[in-house]
Amino acid sequence: MTCSLLYTARDGRNYRVFTWWMTAAMLTFAAATILIDGNFIPTAAGWALTTATAILMVAAMRSYIVFLRNADELLRKVHLEALAFAFGAGLVAMMCYRLCERLGAPKLDVNDGGLVLFIVWIGGQWIGARRYAVAEEQ
Amino acid sequence: MDNRLRVLRAERRWSQAELAERLGVSRQTVNAIETGKYDPSLPLAFAIAKTFEMKIEDVFNPNGN
Repeated sequence: MTCSLLYTARDGRNYRVFTWWMTAAMLTFAAATILIDGNFIPTAAGWALTTATAILMVAAMRSYIVFLRNADELLRKVHLEALAFAFGAGLVAMMCYRLCERLGAPKLDVNDGGLVLFIVWIGGQWIGARRYAVAEEQ
Repeated sequence: MDNRLRVLRAERRWSQAELAERLGVSRQTVNAIETGKYDPSLPLAFAIAKTFEMKIEDVFNPNGN
């Protein structure tokens, strides 16, 4: 087994599988949004694309759970802390912004909460990886 | 929790990467345990003790920092 700094070879493989599923889901989501919004496809095809997006997202979620369950225990801790951080930050941002909207702030799309969640999740992973960064070998 | 991981590893002339490979974890995990930034789970602590052919209490000291 080849060991990298934070990801073992198995972790790298599992994370790549998750990335592929997630990329496929996001591309399908983007395509579905453009095609449905622009009335480029019949309703039946729209439903098919929406179903495909949901299936791909569930597959991505499942592959992430597989990755987490098999991950090196420090890597799992980093990812779980990032998820907790993202969930909390997403909740705070969405709830507080509802109040800001009532005070006159511009209305945001429901997807913007998801964007906050995603950015904080990535940032949380980066912070966790830095916290346990490898010092020079002694 | 204190541990003697660095000393035991040095006695056997193993690198962090080599110990990580023997344990099936990342080098960062071995480094984090050695520097006291991370306390391993019980299964990993037992695996470490087994790798060094020692008792778990001879590798880890729960009364440390």
